[in-house]
Amino acid sequence: MGVELDYAAELINRIIKDIKGPRTGIHICRGNWSTREDVLLTGDYTPLLPALTKMKVNQFVLEYATPRAGEIKVVGEALSGNIPDTDIPRELGLGVVNPRTTEAETPEEIVRKTRLALDFFPPEQIFLNTDCGFGCFANRCVNVEEVATEKIKSIVQAAKMLRKEYS
Amino acid sequence: MIMFTTTQVGSWPRSKKMLKALRDYRVGKLARQDFDHIADDEVRRTVRIQEEVGLDVVVDGEHRRDNFYSFITDKVEGTQLMSLAEMLNEVEDKSGFEEMLDTLDVPASAIRNPTCVGKLERREPLALNDFLFVKTLTGKPVKITLPGPYLLSRSMWVTGYTRKVYKDQFKMGDDIVRILRQELKELADAGCEFVQFDEPVLTEIVMSQECGRRTFM
Repeated sequence: MGVELDYAAELINRIIKDIKGPRTGIHICRGNWSTREDVLLTGDYTPLLPALTKMKVNQFVLEYATPRAGEIKVVGEALSGNIPDTDIPRELGLGVVNPRTTEAETPEEIVRKTRLALDFFPPEQIFLNTDCGFGCFANRCVNVEEVATEKIKSIVQAAKMLRKEYS
Repeated sequence: MIMFTTTQVGSWPRSKKMLKALRDYRVGKLARQDFDHIADDEVRRTVRIQEEVGLDVVVDGEHRRDNFYSFITDKVEGTQLMSLAEMLNEVEDKSGFEEMLDTLDVPASAIRNPTCVGKLERREPLALNDFLFVKTLTGKPVKITLPGPYLLSRSMWVTGYTRKVYKDQFKMGDDIVRILRQELKELADAGCEFVQFDEPVLTEIVMSQECGRRTFM
């Protein structure tokens, strides 16, 4: 398992080495092929940390709307420093809405979730995003456009509230 | 520096029209140009929705993609799109595999895998043109998603097909790195603001054991 994780980190680092310009990110989730939460994987990011801490990407785009992802503290403590061998701070792409549910999360819920990340990352290093895509597999989408629109609206509303408070 | 930048992960729900176009294009009933025409409209609407809502960094919704990693069979030589049902031929424990798909609610005929069947060479850019198209629609920063190298090195290797071409997964992995690095360079030169690599399979190697099962990837 450790060999596999090292290999995963090595591959991504070889790709991004010395290429300047785009912000680079890595997205990790626990499956998006079903709307049934009970069949998707469960567990926090702890076992992945040996790989994640070696990756030289700018941002970790991680599921956190689903309780299956565990506590923000796990990556907060391990990943809130600089990218290895640089003075560039890492960013967290915080998943705040579940792309597979039919009700949009409220901006207040998202603000509450974001506060947990603020214990570890400053506002400039926190991105707010969906947990995963809204339509992973070609002939089976996990959501519909109307719900997806409401969900990204909630994200934008939450960001407005947070900016007001933290600026 | 902006605080709490808002964005999304990548794919947007496909309309019925887009689903039909994807299906027809795959079976050769729709020409590339007509497919692109339909997809362009879907991307336009997806970008417009994100602008109206006020998202900071927009995505194209991945409408052109069969799924978030299998789409590379369109772009990379030496690959072949295979449904999980087709791959069953190569799986040793067939009934176990089928049972797993069923338990996990995986649509075996719907999910397609990009299997490596020849030397991997980029035939055309993976996502550069998607980026350039979105840039004609919006002045906002754009996030482009690419399948992660580890995901590809795991999913593309199907021993019965791939062993004929590559000695092992690491040799194939070297070509995957070369292809993704070339893509990232071109996206950088074109001014792309954000490139995200998708590595969902990482969770599988560490969590499926704890959950007492493996997943389909």
